[in-house]
Amino acid sequence: MTDKDRLTKNEPTPDYYLRAEGITKVYSDGTVALKEADLEIHRGEIIGLLGENGAGKTTFTKILSGLLPPTRGRVISPRGHIRFKSPREALEFGIGMVYQHFALVGTFNAAENVALSHEHPFNRIQLTATKKKLEGLMEESGLHVPLDVPVEKLAVGEQQRVEILKVLSRDIDLLILDEPTSVLTPLEVDELFSLLRRLREEKKSIILITHKLKEVGSVTDRVVVLRHGEMVGDVPTEQASTQQLARLMVGKALDKESSAVELQDKGLPRREQERANVRSKQAVLKVDGLTVKGNTGEITVEGLSFGVYGGEIFGIAGVEGNGQSELVEALTGLRLAKSGSASINGKNILGLDPREIYMMGVAHIPEDRWRLGLVLPFTLAENAILGVQRWEEFRGPMSFLRWGKINQHVRELMDRFEIRATGPSAPAKSLSGGNQQKLIVGRELAKDPQIVVASQPTRGLDIGSAQYIRDLLVEMRGKGRAILLVSADLDEVLALSDRIAIMYEGRFMTIASPKDLDRETIGMLMGGVAVKEAA
Amino acid sequence: MSQELTGSVPRKEKFVHRTLTGLNPAIESLLAAAVGLIIGAILMLVWGYNPWKAYVALFQGAYGDSYGWASSAASGVPLILTALTFSICVRAGMFNIGAEGQVYIGAAAAVTVGYFVLPGGLNLIVGLIFAMIGGALWSLGPAILKLTRGVNEVISTIMFNWIARFLTFYLVAFVLVDPVRGEKTISIPVSARFPVLVRGTDLSWSIFAAVAFAIVIYFVLWHTVIGYEVRAAGLNPSAARYGGIKSKRTMLLAFILGGLGAGLAGATIVMGNPPTYAIISGLPQLMNTGFDGMAVAMVGRNHPIGIIFASLFFGGLTAGGRTMQFTAGVPLEMVRVVEGVIVLTMAIPELIRVFRVMRSSWSTLMNVLKRRRSA
Repeated sequence: MTDKDRLTKNEPTPDYYLRAEGITKVYSDGTVALKEADLEIHRGEIIGLLGENGAGKTTFTKILSGLLPPTRGRVISPRGHIRFKSPREALEFGIGMVYQHFALVGTFNAAENVALSHEHPFNRIQLTATKKKLEGLMEESGLHVPLDVPVEKLAVGEQQRVEILKVLSRDIDLLILDEPTSVLTPLEVDELFSLLRRLREEKKSIILITHKLKEVGSVTDRVVVLRHGEMVGDVPTEQASTQQLARLMVGKALDKESSAVELQDKGLPRREQERANVRSKQAVLKVDGLTVKGNTGEITVEGLSFGVYGGEIFGIAGVEGNGQSELVEALTGLRLAKSGSASINGKNILGLDPREIYMMGVAHIPEDRWRLGLVLPFTLAENAILGVQRWEEFRGPMSFLRWGKINQHVRELMDRFEIRATGPSAPAKSLSGGNQQKLIVGRELAKDPQIVVASQPTRGLDIGSAQYIRDLLVEMRGKGRAILLVSADLDEVLALSDRIAIMYEGRFMTIASPKDLDRETIGMLMGGVAVKEAA
Repeated sequence: MSQELTGSVPRKEKFVHRTLTGLNPAIESLLAAAVGLIIGAILMLVWGYNPWKAYVALFQGAYGDSYGWASSAASGVPLILTALTFSICVRAGMFNIGAEGQVYIGAAAAVTVGYFVLPGGLNLIVGLIFAMIGGALWSLGPAILKLTRGVNEVISTIMFNWIARFLTFYLVAFVLVDPVRGEKTISIPVSARFPVLVRGTDLSWSIFAAVAFAIVIYFVLWHTVIGYEVRAAGLNPSAARYGGIKSKRTMLLAFILGGLGAGLAGATIVMGNPPTYAIISGLPQLMNTGFDGMAVAMVGRNHPIGIIFASLFFGGLTAGGRTMQFTAGVPLEMVRVVEGVIVLTMAIPELIRVFRVMRSSWSTLMNVLKRRRSA
């Protein structure tokens, strides 16, 4: 009966490419990720798939791309009912997906990675042909990546381009991108979007998973909103207002989120009043002439000098891969600096190991939470003491861990930082991205640090979690702590920072108050054009 | 509860005591053991033996009476220790297969107490300490090569196993040799022997040493900061570094702890196994203790408590295998086949995932049927 209702509600149009009907997905642990989701995809359209983390966006697209079978429901094309047994079958059908976490072999170069994805296991890898094809494709699509460098040496944005090339090099009709812009800078996002528009011209269909409302407006034709596994909206983009979409996406708890939307969309500083008048006289972190080498031995941070004061957020904006990661690693003891000095409250930190630096009051929210921030198979409790495992509070006689105290500490963290999990013994990998990040942030802030080094703290998070974490940073500033914020999200840096540095090729183009910078200027500085030159 | 889990069946919060950490895959091990026994049965059928008769004999021999239990436990004692050697290093992110050589060195070191005259219990303790230090020192070779020169521990431990083997051959034949009987070393003095626990069997007090070592390792790994650091560095070296853990230190520690275990295993063999209490030339009692320990470690899921049970099972196969040979006429080698299949099965962690998929598709099927019926 219900099936009939649905069919009469949205009649299939004859020119559809793919139609998902009543897709339901129940995971083996009982989680209902999708409830009766319907979607019709046409040729030559860009669909924005909007929703918070955990809304079922990724599950839905994984079903389309053959990675997961649906529990109920079906996918049909004009050619009939389709059921993929593997992503390879989906690719052969013409559906390709680029995941948020890349599937690349780190020691292979781009061409090898692409060749790997093409060939059947027993075929000969045809590297020269692949390379030629890729060069053509790069010319055509405007996506450029170095072909001879192992991909692990490439910046995240470049790795993503390799992933997109990998899919494009197959003859695909439907391209699915999972949060593609979360790792890109504004310039790269523009490039990506113009590529998507070009693909639309070629009558290809695109599904863009995102939770950034602005992106939806700028590139999509149609917006589909998922909330808790249900399709709650399917509207043409021009008829959809940002506020309406935000409301659909977040549902009830609108008050908090609407301000988040505002922040994300307009870059408006929140809590202007908290902006510190309490800035300390002495810099907490003082960096002088710092030079750091990258993985391949090239100089990635070149003679940087700056100070971060208590009670301020010092934001570093810039296109990713301009030395931000290396700067953070050098300051947190993960990478040796080549020359220069850095000190916390007058005490040198260069050459110390990470734990010694923590002891001096540094908290580090790392950019890659899966690689650095968490030991995924560990429990919540075990992750909650990473870096502070030697604290007196947690360590009894003979270096025995006081699990009772640790579990109590974790419960406090869960309460204080709104970490949703079944308990201290839940494995970290069972948490959603937002909760994993809250766990890291909670652990770091619980150190009561002098300075917080936050690197991409809200990357890939849903609006609620992202805003929550931003609020925490602002709160720390209110307490007179120093915060060094590195983010590829320009709006975020603009909204939170008291001072902004624009980083380009290992140097700061400028250090200024966000009020004195307009977007055009920032865009030029990020592209390496000094303002005077431009004028 | 949580927004992410909305609509899901609220999962029971599991109040698993920390002792059970990591033991959840016990089912997987039982499954592997069952598969091993079934495939063993099929092979017996193919070769014209009666698998039912064989297994009845095997299990009666292994666990049928107190003599069987004692023999099984006795065979399992050194395996507990060598399995721990392997497991500690797996937990630290390494594949250390050097237990074999460390057992030889440990046994040789233990035999040297035959040259001392010390008061009663002291002789036993000194022997154990010698053996443990011998094993640990032997494990330092590959450890230092790895930490300073980056030599892969798989290669270096294999090579050290061979060196240990021939070194021990030499020691048995020329240095520690019994002046009266040239085919064996001097015997461990009575004062340095583990007292026999069950009269008439091989089971001695050495089982307490092995179980105590397992429990110590359990506490070190799951209840101390050092163990926490070892496990963190083993699971995610980058995150460990971020957490201020020096992975070189944790690796060295794992190697040393493992060496202590393997050395102790050597001691339990020469000091706790009647009737020889000496190393026989050709090392028949020592051979394969280290390698079998790896199989035990896999079945025991690299968890000290799991390893104790897995050792009892593997010891049972060895002890019961003899009975099987007598009463059912099935060659002892069949036991090795079963062991081999178990190890192969353990190497397929996919198995359980396959079962999960089967279960979920089963529930899908039931749902569909239900809907059909109601429609």
